[in-house]
Amino acid sequence: MKNCLETLRKQRGIRQEELADALGISRQTVSSLENGRYNPSILLAFKLSRYFQLPIEEIFFDEEETNRE
Amino acid sequence: MNKKWLSVVLMIVGALLLVGGLYLILIPASAEGFLSALPFILIGVGCGALGQGIGDRLQQRKIARSPALAKQQANERNDERNIAIANRAKAKAFDLMVYVFGALLLSFAQFGVSTAATISLTAAYLLVIGYRIFVSVQFDREM
Repeated sequence: MKNCLETLRKQRGIRQEELADALGISRQTVSSLENGRYNPSILLAFKLSRYFQLPIEEIFFDEEETNRE
Repeated sequence: MNKKWLSVVLMIVGALLLVGGLYLILIPASAEGFLSALPFILIGVGCGALGQGIGDRLQQRKIARSPALAKQQANERNDERNIAIANRAKAKAFDLMVYVFGALLLSFAQFGVSTAATISLTAAYLLVIGYRIFVSVQFDREM
């Protein structure tokens, strides 16, 4: 699973700590999410979707599906 | 009982056990078996409880002074990745334990360790394995 969390966060000028604080998670989790090392639960994905006011599929995308297109 | 009082009680109990253990070492006694080891057990448990109590109390004071730190600690505690890491580590350790205890049981039986010890260890091993199956069935129903 790939995502564009880092780009979205930087576009809004937010630090990892601030995002982590707003979502109630650790800064390490934000870093792992951005690097694609950790896939979030559906609940966290919804929290991120609400935070960035974007649909989940615009934040997270399946790598295989993207390659096929 | 709130956390503050729990740590205070832990400190007092730890200090009492420690002093009691030291006192028992200093007085001449003719205790045998378990009782001869009692002072050292008291000192060990006392030091552990006292250290835990002091550590908890210091942490509570630090957190009380800094709400930001308290929030950060709550985030760390409830973080889903941290929880997943802890659960995966426990699961791996359990898998290892099954093999290690199995090998230990076989060696106990092979080297003629007392029957009572081997049987009680086997019973404990089977209890853990049985509990794992029980919890799996329970989760299967719930999820």
